[in-house]
Amino acid sequence: MAARPAEKHPALLALTSSALLLPAYQGVQADAPPQYTELGMRYSKYEEDDTRGSKTFGGSSQRYDIDAAQFHLLAPVADSWSVAVDVQWEDMSGASPWFVGQSLDGGPKVVMSGASIEDTRTEVSVTTRYFYDRGNAGVNYVRSDEDDYDSNALALDGAFNSADGLTTYSGAVSYSSDNIEPTQGSVPTNTRKADKDTSSAWVGVSRIISKNAIVRFGLSYTYRDGFLTDPYKLHDKRPGERNEWTASTGYRQYFSWPDGALQADYRYFDDDWGVASHTLNLSWHQNLGESTQLIPFLRYYTQGEADFFANVADLDTRYYADDYRLSAFGAISAGLRLRHEIGNWAITAVGERYESDESWGLYNGDESPALLNYWRYSFGLDYIFK
Amino acid sequence: MAALHFDHRFRAMGGPCRLRFDCSDDARAARAIAACEAEVGRLEQKYSRYLPDSLTSRINRAAGTRTPVAVDEETAGLLGFADTLWQQSGGLFDLTAGILRRAWDFKSRRLPAPEAIEALLPLIGWDRVEWDTGAVHLPRPGMEIDFGGCVKEYATDSAAAVLARHGIDRGLVDLAGDMAVVGAGSVAQPWSVGIRHPRDKDRAIAHTSLAAGGLASSGDYERCLVVDGRRYGHILNPVTGWPVQGLAAVSIIAGQCLVAGGSATIAMLKPEAEALAWLRELGLPWLAVDASLQSHGSISLD
Repeated sequence: MAARPAEKHPALLALTSSALLLPAYQGVQADAPPQYTELGMRYSKYEEDDTRGSKTFGGSSQRYDIDAAQFHLLAPVADSWSVAVDVQWEDMSGASPWFVGQSLDGGPKVVMSGASIEDTRTEVSVTTRYFYDRGNAGVNYVRSDEDDYDSNALALDGAFNSADGLTTYSGAVSYSSDNIEPTQGSVPTNTRKADKDTSSAWVGVSRIISKNAIVRFGLSYTYRDGFLTDPYKLHDKRPGERNEWTASTGYRQYFSWPDGALQADYRYFDDDWGVASHTLNLSWHQNLGESTQLIPFLRYYTQGEADFFANVADLDTRYYADDYRLSAFGAISAGLRLRHEIGNWAITAVGERYESDESWGLYNGDESPALLNYWRYSFGLDYIFK
Repeated sequence: MAALHFDHRFRAMGGPCRLRFDCSDDARAARAIAACEAEVGRLEQKYSRYLPDSLTSRINRAAGTRTPVAVDEETAGLLGFADTLWQQSGGLFDLTAGILRRAWDFKSRRLPAPEAIEALLPLIGWDRVEWDTGAVHLPRPGMEIDFGGCVKEYATDSAAAVLARHGIDRGLVDLAGDMAVVGAGSVAQPWSVGIRHPRDKDRAIAHTSLAAGGLASSGDYERCLVVDGRRYGHILNPVTGWPVQGLAAVSIIAGQCLVAGGSATIAMLKPEAEALAWLRELGLPWLAVDASLQSHGSISLD
């Protein structure tokens, strides 16, 4: 029996819209732990384009590739708890920009480190979460290991729903302690052994403003302290502290025709190194029948350069860096995500293209010859035990 | 984890109630059942016209005084829904019409005196009620409102929402014949439900499949009054104060049990031919039983 009528008759339209104003139809959601165990595997490939020959001083122009395999397990435990375990293995290979120098024709060119980097990274993350009537709270521990780097991080987060269930307040604090021990050999390094600490706090509020729309706001602060210089770059000396702030907002609206949702997110970032950035994300979540979802997405990013950035670093100043990641640029990425469910299985596939260019940015600065473009692909398979 | 099937029966709102659902966890199912019963009990206590402390009783006691009674968002929502029913039925559904029960005593087997009905008519009229989203005021002493025409249907939907909030994604709430499917429902796994016989409370006149949304029935289930060969049913026209020569029972399936119930009530208040025409136009699956126990409608019977 089709119980979803074509709501055309004016009497039915009037009755339905008047009924839906009642609280029982406002989608008030108490937090509940996951009901079923979920198991997932994901393979991703990240491939940076080679740096264009005109922008390098001979040598290799090949850049970074990363192959990653992920394993995910989420299970309910007892009545009100869940536990999640995520393991990720990454295999990284290729070259990264070593330094930028002035070429005879006047333009800055990059010198690559040569195809010298070969590293693997293993990350294990464990989260346990407690669900209560009006929200949930979680503890997350992450350990990451590489040949030249290890990191331990702990995070606490919580969410609290208002009595009408329409507003959710959330907050999180995290701390991470990282040790750096650069691999010696191919290029001289800026340190033999160093460490850094990162502390971060986040608060957010989201509100369901109608049956089909949700809006959210968030603020965060991050403090980094320790060895923040890139150990492998020749011309790199950064301050020992960094204070970062972000403000973000997002809006999601569902449209019953064509059965899809528009999501728009914006984030502003500012720090005391002089880098500020804007990120705008747009995505469209299109439902195709009951079991397929197609999500095209578009992201625009722009940042200003750090106070101590210069393509050709002045080594006499207190701080300097020629790292393209601290230069002014704009970037656009576009991609497509597909999710399809078959019984207890779900398949996801993602493809994304990222390109960056100094002239696309809102901020002026020296164009770094090392700006990058990349492709990213990912394929995943999830199973729900139910 | 295998899903366990729960079937819980209890009494509320003057009738037998039943919760059927799948859940993988005993403790969560127990909490869901308790929360569901509590929700139905909350609505019964809040809106019952028999309980002196209920909001309905407070509103009725303040009739004719100068003081409006403050109402919360939920009550304002029910008043708004009742207002829509009044408009869509051309004044046939009237939250203030319950007072006619004082004149009509169906057990006595006698017709009321026309003067007794005349005397009550000035106390009836939804258009005389002053209300907004914050307060309601019955202007004349003796006026009464009665949410009986929509609270049980609303409670059915609300109980289904409570189950969904406890993580239950397949279930059926049945409050004495008003039903709501928990969650989004499934065309592949519909619920087989019985539609009550208009002349026999304990018997189903038909069975149908309910995949999603809600089903509600409205009927003239009691034995009617027959005087001089003429049948007088329990469904009263608020304008004349006399019984409607209408259908014996109507069941409707809609996105919400509340919308199904409101639509069924409107159909019951219309004269038979008008009611059948209105049901055909409305576009919802329906089943109507006329006074001669003939059934009509688009609900496919299992």
